[in-house]
Amino acid sequence: MEEEVEKAVFAYLRKKGFRLTEIALQEEQTRLSSDASSLSRSESDAAKYYDGYGKLRSWAYNSLDSYRHELLRVLYPVFIHCFMDLVAQGHMQEARTFFQTFREDHEMMHLRDLQKLEGILSPSHLEEMELARLWRQNKVKIRLCQYSYELLVQYLHKTQSLAMLGVINEHINFEVYPGQPASMSDDSEAVFLIGTSQDLAREINQKELHWGLLEDSVEERMEKTLSESDKTEVDGNKEADTEDNNKKKTDGNKHSTAVNNKKKKDKVVGATGKTIRSESSMVSVPPRVKPELTLPQFPPEVEQSILEDLRNRVQLNSLALPSVSFYTFLNTHNGLNCSTISHDGSLVAGGFSDSSVKIWDMAKIGQPGRASNPQGENGSMQGMHSLASDEAKRPYSLLQGHSGPVYSVSFSPFADFLLSSSSDNTIRLWSTRLNANLVSYKGHNFPVWDAQFSPMGHYFATASHDRTARLWSVERIQPLRVMAGHLSDVDCVQWHPNCNYIATGSSDKTVRLWDVQTGNCARLFIGHRSMVLSLAISPDGRFMASGDEDGTIMLWDLSTGRSVSPIIGHSSCVWTLAFSCEGTLLASGSADCMVKLWDITSSMKALKTDDSKSGPASRLRLLKALPTKSTPVYTLRFSRRNLLFAAGALSAGS
Amino acid sequence: MSIVPKETIEVIAQSIGIPNLSPDVALALAPDVEYRLREITQEAIKCMRHTKRTVLTADDVDSALNLRNLEPIYGFASSDPLKFKRAIGHKDLFYLDDREVDFKEVIDAPLPKAPLDTAVVTHWLAIEGVQPAIPENPPIEAIVAPPDGKKMDHGKDDSLPIDLKLPIKHVLSRELQMYFDKIGELILGRADTPLFKDALLSLAKDSGLHPLVPYFSYFIADEVSRNLNNLPILFALMRVVKSLLSNPHIHIEPYLHQMMPSIITCLVAKRVGHQISDNHWAIRDFASKIVASICRRYGHVYHNLQSRLTKTLIHAFLDPSKALTQHYGAIQGLSALGPSVVRLLILPNLETYMQLLDPEMQLDKQKNELKRKEAWRVYGSLLLAGGSCLYDRLRLFPGLLSPPDILPWKTNKKIALTNLPNNKRKASSRLTAHQPPTKKLAVDPTGTNSQFPSTDGPATSSSSGSNPNHHHSHNSSNNNSSSTGNITNANANINNVSGSGAHGQRVAVSNVLRQAWKEDLDAGHLLSSLHGLFGEGIFSFIQPAEMHCFI
Repeated sequence: MEEEVEKAVFAYLRKKGFRLTEIALQEEQTRLSSDASSLSRSESDAAKYYDGYGKLRSWAYNSLDSYRHELLRVLYPVFIHCFMDLVAQGHMQEARTFFQTFREDHEMMHLRDLQKLEGILSPSHLEEMELARLWRQNKVKIRLCQYSYELLVQYLHKTQSLAMLGVINEHINFEVYPGQPASMSDDSEAVFLIGTSQDLAREINQKELHWGLLEDSVEERMEKTLSESDKTEVDGNKEADTEDNNKKKTDGNKHSTAVNNKKKKDKVVGATGKTIRSESSMVSVPPRVKPELTLPQFPPEVEQSILEDLRNRVQLNSLALPSVSFYTFLNTHNGLNCSTISHDGSLVAGGFSDSSVKIWDMAKIGQPGRASNPQGENGSMQGMHSLASDEAKRPYSLLQGHSGPVYSVSFSPFADFLLSSSSDNTIRLWSTRLNANLVSYKGHNFPVWDAQFSPMGHYFATASHDRTARLWSVERIQPLRVMAGHLSDVDCVQWHPNCNYIATGSSDKTVRLWDVQTGNCARLFIGHRSMVLSLAISPDGRFMASGDEDGTIMLWDLSTGRSVSPIIGHSSCVWTLAFSCEGTLLASGSADCMVKLWDITSSMKALKTDDSKSGPASRLRLLKALPTKSTPVYTLRFSRRNLLFAAGALSAGS
Repeated sequence: MSIVPKETIEVIAQSIGIPNLSPDVALALAPDVEYRLREITQEAIKCMRHTKRTVLTADDVDSALNLRNLEPIYGFASSDPLKFKRAIGHKDLFYLDDREVDFKEVIDAPLPKAPLDTAVVTHWLAIEGVQPAIPENPPIEAIVAPPDGKKMDHGKDDSLPIDLKLPIKHVLSRELQMYFDKIGELILGRADTPLFKDALLSLAKDSGLHPLVPYFSYFIADEVSRNLNNLPILFALMRVVKSLLSNPHIHIEPYLHQMMPSIITCLVAKRVGHQISDNHWAIRDFASKIVASICRRYGHVYHNLQSRLTKTLIHAFLDPSKALTQHYGAIQGLSALGPSVVRLLILPNLETYMQLLDPEMQLDKQKNELKRKEAWRVYGSLLLAGGSCLYDRLRLFPGLLSPPDILPWKTNKKIALTNLPNNKRKASSRLTAHQPPTKKLAVDPTGTNSQFPSTDGPATSSSSGSNPNHHHSHNSSNNNSSSTGNITNANANINNVSGSGAHGQRVAVSNVLRQAWKEDLDAGHLLSSLHGLFGEGIFSFIQPAEMHCFI
């Protein structure tokens, strides 16, 4: 009907010779029709995503029980990509509704990602946001069993939901494996792995890792001694009781100082070595590796003190829990950002928002008479006070130099030096003897979140908002290595005990292990669901614990790169983690004002028994929860004698 | 669609001097503004985490802006969380309370105290895995957990673990000592300052005061006995007791026996206060409340607590040689323990006591004005005790209360009137409910009437409809006018009831009902006896709804 009228009109126009009118009419017609079609197309597009996803979702939820959890894995990436497609096509309104409607399904697993993606409101944001780009550029790899895959393909064909098919084809790679579907517990590994990063992780984690301890370390020497002394005892020294033994050995020490340094020490620690070996014989002895960095030698007197400590070490296990000495910072006025404790607990340092670093010497605080009272008298007697005496009055030494909040402080192994990192992009080295700044290291372009001295001193590692971690030597003002690879801020850094690796935790929810020699990433650990805040590596170098913003603590096997046991350890941020000296206990400190002690040995044993499967079945066992009095725990450190030091600022407000 | 509506953009544009921003621009800007806000927030949260906090502050936002190379927003710097106020009339609109400060005020104001310098203190959080019970550690479970009645029941001695006592004895930190000294000083010297209020609050809230409890209980006992004639100090002490009792972190039971005597002293002492004009009644009232709260909280833990207390009080009450002030305290203490105590202990002795009290109250017999006043006080407290007891009884049986209590001293026809509410609520049960009164009537009237001669004439079961009207008009003086509306209704019911009464006599009364009646009769007796003793004054304790039942 309409066409006829149209024809008639055109015929009429032609007949009358109204050429221009005819052309105008034609133009208008084409414009209208194209408009209409494009409008309807786009609307139907948006609806297609909505309906298609809705149907897929209900189908997945109603599928067979044993395959459901696999099929549900598909939903999350499809959901994200549908949303991003909608945004990219400019259907902001529809994208929002779509997101809000189905958001709930994924909240439990991916809350933080959702919160970020929620902010995407225009196609340009897709380009800008790291996470969105990651999703767009990489494919998701999902492991499905044969039958689940068939089910999915069948469904997609049958329903002709082209939008879904398109999304799935474009963004998801299926890795189909024969046989029965894997158990639910593997979910954490199989779901939500962004293709390349997962591949990367797999590739990286296949590299060989020398996680063993250093050759020729003091501890190792001690152990050797033990075996030697064992032999000698077997040889014929049996009747001599231990005291005699000790005496002899110490006597021997004096004589052989120059001759055989090593042997001497061996003998000295003979008695201790025995106990340690008897214990370490239960756990497998970690392999020995050569240092990749030229490491400094400890001066003899320092070594002596270490040996002394080792001799006096208390053995900890699930039955013998450590003593915890708590350092409470008072009157910080919300200004304390970080703290650290020296190995022997004699020095405590805090980094403050007002750019200052303060060091307390506990030996002086222990004598209140000298520290406070006489000073007060002085003050009343002398009206005039010089700046110097003011300084002397303070119970701490104040280190000023930074021009921004100090985010971390770290003592060198013997507390001679202190490192501090700050939001002014610098790291400063302070001498605790002179109370003065020695060096300012510039290199990072953004606030430096963390700085850690290596276990042997001399080197240190830093982590920054500029997404790099850097390795420095105290002697050079330029970094030795730059470790780049994290996709977001590097929030914390920790040294491997053998000094060949450093571990970094990041806001991109991964933990990486870097080879200090090559600067390459040696391991990539994926599994955290929020920003990683704290790291600790077990003294035998095999395991690493990481704590995140949600209070989850994960234990990783460095050699395989797999998670041993994830636990919900705390109800709030895990600020700090520490392994006991034998590696039997893990201590964690959190914003929920708790110090918790976890049993590591039990989960290790579990790991060994089903080493072949290495499933994350075993859980860490909580041994003890020690609440503090409204004091979030900022720092934990085991002394060499296995005394646990903890520090935190009293938060009066709560 | 976005969280930031385009109107917001328009408002902001106006506020920075762009009067006519086109709506398209606003619409395009809104999503981007939201995205930027989210971005800044994300960075701010990172900064917050690295300053080891869980609360976002303005400083964090400034640091985040700094990270993005933006100028910080000035004027909000504060390390404390900002205080937002809700705009009145809007559910989700908040604003910062930004007061104008007068320069002069600031300049003239004395310099504030310099904030304390940062310090580090150490303590043992755990010794070989066990947390020592020292003030630096949070109170251990035994103290935090609300006292479990059953557990405490079978062993007062168990509740006092030895390891709890040791630290009390040996470890009283300097801070705690200073705290104790300060509180003591406040009580004795400056109980009227606002500081004392803060101190009370601290006593009621702070954890870690537990080591001080024995010192406080000793202090209170000591000071009460020493300052019996100093009312302000007594008041301060009692308030301290109250605060300590309300502190959830304090395990006060082991010290109750030390505190009780002082409180009871305040309650029933012969002379409290220095001058005659001192308001010692108030402290007695206050002490009675404390005693009652102690009994409520710990009565089930120590079963003999209440019995011992009531014994002491009733002795004071029944001893005619004691002063009226002591009687007053005893009555207050007993009545605070609840209506059942009043019913069991005061009411039986009420009549005899009134005979004793009466002469004291009358102008011609007692010439000493002070004494007379005291007597009236005692009378008032008795009235209150009796009244609250009555009120309680009435509340227990709202539906069934009315009929019998009229019986002894009002006419049978009254029943009709009193049953009005009943009729409305459960018409079905009305029939049975009506029966007993007539039944009881045959037995009761003589006994009760002789015991409590009422102002009305003796009741007759067969009286005509004229009587109720008479009573009604008689009593309606202290009733509200609503009852007059009921008169006709009542009259209409009379026939109904007398009919059903006759009919109902044949129906057996269930046991349950009888029991209820018996209890109810109690209330009736109570009212009548109280009415006898106190006259109209007692009616103010009856709820209006029930009130018109009686009249």
